[in-house]
Amino acid sequence: MRQVKTLVRKEMLDILRDKKTLVMMVVVPVLLYPLIIIGMSLAFSYMMQSQESKEHTVGYPVEYQEMVEGLQSLYPKNKAADGDRTDAEDTADAEDTADAGTGEELADLTFVPAKAGEEDCVKETTDAWLEISRAENGAWHVTVQYTSSNESSAYTSEALSDLLGEYSDRLLAENLRAQGLDEEFLHPVVCEEEDLTPASESFGMDIGGSIGMILIVTILLGAVYPAIDATAGEKERGTLETLLTLPVTNFQMILSKYISVAFFACVTAVLSLLSLGGSVLFLMFGLSPELADQMQGFSFAALLRQLPLLVVTLIVTALLITALCMCFCVFARSFKEANNYVTPVLFVVMLASMTAMLPSTRLDYRTVLIPVVNVSLMVKQIIAQQFDAGLVGMTILVNFGYSVVIVWILARMYNSEDILFSDGFRGLRLFQRRSEIRKGTVPGTGDLVISTALVLLLVLYVGMAVTARSTIAGTVVTELIILAVPVFVVWYMKSDARRLFRLRTPSARACAGGLLLYLGVFVLGLFCSMIAIYLLPESTQNLEGAYAEIVAQPLPILLLLIAVLPAACEEILFRGFLFGGLREHFTAGKREREQAGGIWALVLSALVFAVFHMSLVKLPATFLLGAGFAFIVWKGGSIYVSMALHCLNNALSAAVMKYPEQMGKIFPLLVKEEFTPTELAILLVGGLALAAAGIAILPGKNKKERR
Amino acid sequence: MIEAIGLCKQFERSVKKGRRTVKETFLAVDHVSLQARPGEIIGILGPNGAGKTTLLRMLGMLMTPTGGEVRLTLQGEPDLTMPNGGVIESETAKKAAIGYLSGNTKLYPRFSIREYLRFLGELYGLDRRQIEERTAEISRVLDMEPFLDNRIEKLSTGQTQRASIARCLMADPQIYILDEPTLGLDILSADAIIHFMKEQKERGKTVLYSTHYLEEAQFLCDRVYMICDGRIVAQGTPRELLAQTGTESLREAFHQIYDMQTEAGKEQSVTPGERIDGKASPGRDTGSRGDNENREKGGASA
Repeated sequence: MRQVKTLVRKEMLDILRDKKTLVMMVVVPVLLYPLIIIGMSLAFSYMMQSQESKEHTVGYPVEYQEMVEGLQSLYPKNKAADGDRTDAEDTADAEDTADAGTGEELADLTFVPAKAGEEDCVKETTDAWLEISRAENGAWHVTVQYTSSNESSAYTSEALSDLLGEYSDRLLAENLRAQGLDEEFLHPVVCEEEDLTPASESFGMDIGGSIGMILIVTILLGAVYPAIDATAGEKERGTLETLLTLPVTNFQMILSKYISVAFFACVTAVLSLLSLGGSVLFLMFGLSPELADQMQGFSFAALLRQLPLLVVTLIVTALLITALCMCFCVFARSFKEANNYVTPVLFVVMLASMTAMLPSTRLDYRTVLIPVVNVSLMVKQIIAQQFDAGLVGMTILVNFGYSVVIVWILARMYNSEDILFSDGFRGLRLFQRRSEIRKGTVPGTGDLVISTALVLLLVLYVGMAVTARSTIAGTVVTELIILAVPVFVVWYMKSDARRLFRLRTPSARACAGGLLLYLGVFVLGLFCSMIAIYLLPESTQNLEGAYAEIVAQPLPILLLLIAVLPAACEEILFRGFLFGGLREHFTAGKREREQAGGIWALVLSALVFAVFHMSLVKLPATFLLGAGFAFIVWKGGSIYVSMALHCLNNALSAAVMKYPEQMGKIFPLLVKEEFTPTELAILLVGGLALAAAGIAILPGKNKKERR
Repeated sequence: MIEAIGLCKQFERSVKKGRRTVKETFLAVDHVSLQARPGEIIGILGPNGAGKTTLLRMLGMLMTPTGGEVRLTLQGEPDLTMPNGGVIESETAKKAAIGYLSGNTKLYPRFSIREYLRFLGELYGLDRRQIEERTAEISRVLDMEPFLDNRIEKLSTGQTQRASIARCLMADPQIYILDEPTLGLDILSADAIIHFMKEQKERGKTVLYSTHYLEEAQFLCDRVYMICDGRIVAQGTPRELLAQTGTESLREAFHQIYDMQTEAGKEQSVTPGERIDGKASPGRDTGSRGDNENREKGGASA
């Protein structure tokens, strides 16, 4: 403990003496936030005031003088609009009305008669143009023409809408009076709402979400910089090697860094919250008294009672976020590299922190398990002063638990050697010049991630755009994108495509084992889908409609579009490129890592495959299918087996779509929609047995693989 | 005493095989056994990439060996009257007994030397009075008093080097492991280091150090180990090595031993002249190419 104390003191001093840390920790929250918030609102109110004091001209057709006079009569002192009057006189009048002051403040508008004013409006010589017509029954129809890109014009248009609305009300009241009716005639039922929520709660719910987000984001900003400085920064400065020669254990070292970074994250968050809160309160009471009225019912005293709870929340959140940041920074060799690693974490955490701002999100026994999201929801409910003590306690425990686990893993996994001499994550080779890439290079993890993300983006934008015009063309384009990207990357990186994609003739044993495993996985997938539909009934989608155009095609084209093309293209991307590349990296050429590396690659590639199919209900089934195919490629040594089985799988569903009745008779399992628990149990056992048989039959390792 | 017993370190590297690049493992340190006793200065000599730094890092507990072990005993010989025969077991105790200094062990730039020494003293379990006394003594010996309270980032190279020595002295370890300590230093700073090593030897400490400067090793070291491709290829006192090779200086002895090794390596190697990472190794095919060029140039000038 003494060692940790010494180390913590050293870390703190080191971080504190870094100018950049101080900028992030003190200058940004204490000076920048108030400057931005107060400055922005001052600028905004200045702009509003300048618009209000400015003269706004409205053009109207000369023949509708009557209408404009009516509008002007709304001002307390009648403002006679006369076509012969000059603008200067009009302006003088406008000023008069402004001086007189109205109860419901109407903006100063100068009406200018003209023959055709649209052009003036576009040329910005007048701010708006009234296009007026009158129906036979005497009803007016007014179109306010304005240019929204011009601030003055936009302001005038809004002012005109108010004015016209008021004028309409007045005419209505006059008409009713002429008919001897009173206003209740128009409103036989008056509906009013009364919110019985205590003001504290509704206000708390409104702002609680944002406060949770601000809390998390400020902790994040406070943690990132010291986390990088204490890990990658220390490595870059060359002091880590010195530290590791000292009599301290890895655990003491990681723990002391962790405590220091979390401490600074807390300090930054507290400073930020105080400064943000101060700025907002200053705005509310200083500049906008109406806002202050709104929150009158909100009891700050009650909130103060929750302060200890909020402080605990702050600390626990800081612990979690620091752990997350350090997890990534510890691998980096330099500051810059750590920044790159931590940026995605920033985005994910920020997104998660916004959950509480979504309507109807609540802390319950499911959301309590999601890190960051649970804090964001908990803060909302604490501020609204309606929370379940059990859930709050659980959130704190869960986050604390996650932090402990992460730190424990950090200290266990990374011995001094890995921290000191690791290469960092395998770099990107995709952006090297092709001439500099050696033959036989395998795409790195970064290349795989970028390529897969590119496929997803292209499919989303290009594929969807084409699909919107024609489903058939869309399907073809989507599959070609899926094929083209990995093929391009493999060509560019001069990879050995035969080896990476496993383009090899399969053995009979691989085919037999593959078929059995596929059947097993298919049955298990069916079981999972049934469970998923039971759990998430609302998300069941009817896909038949989307495929109607394709299903209407003759059978050979249908099979080509749904079975052959996707099987070939998707297998190349998911099993050849993604699984092959990942496996290559996870095993890193080491025989002892062969099994574990293969399983990681299998799980990850299957997960991406499942997510790619974008259906929550089908997710488990697609995942199983992806994992099964990857296993077949891995152990069977040939991608052709998984291609054939993928083709078979899709052909079956195509056939069911085209000939549901006939297929139902031949394969009742394929069209069956409801299963009894006994049948489900049979599915599970049968699926497992088939899959196990397949795994047993599949060769352990292809002979050709042995070099 | 520090002992390496069959020490091995396996790494991975990319190897070009025909058109393919495959990964394969190799031994950067290959079954190295050595001993360094109290009151001895041991030199580790070898060309770049021979495995000196890896060996010293394993001895300094910065790297875990993939084979063999590092044994540290408090006394010169295992002492059966001490617990566990005087053999140090725990990793932190081993680290506490070793002062490790290399070009990569930098000091905290945002600390003053005094603050840094205090931090070290606390880690080594000294109390406040001991820390103050030792700081005063070290700064007097190393003549650091004028800049003791300056931040390390503001110090000159020589001053920083003295601060690094102060770091090692603070713990007063039994064993010093120094990885090319005089590399890139001016004469005054290098002499300070050499003086430091001699002084520690006189105090009965063990000093293990690697260097490229063979003249320096010849007059400083009690024994030297020559390392090539991770293996010890020659060992003994400088005098013994000179006698073995029939040369007059350690530099000549080194060349002779190294040439013998590369010849032997050529005979054993399946693909001579090509090193695994695709670069030509020194003294192999580039050597012959350089010779041709030299001959051509020589011919032209003649």
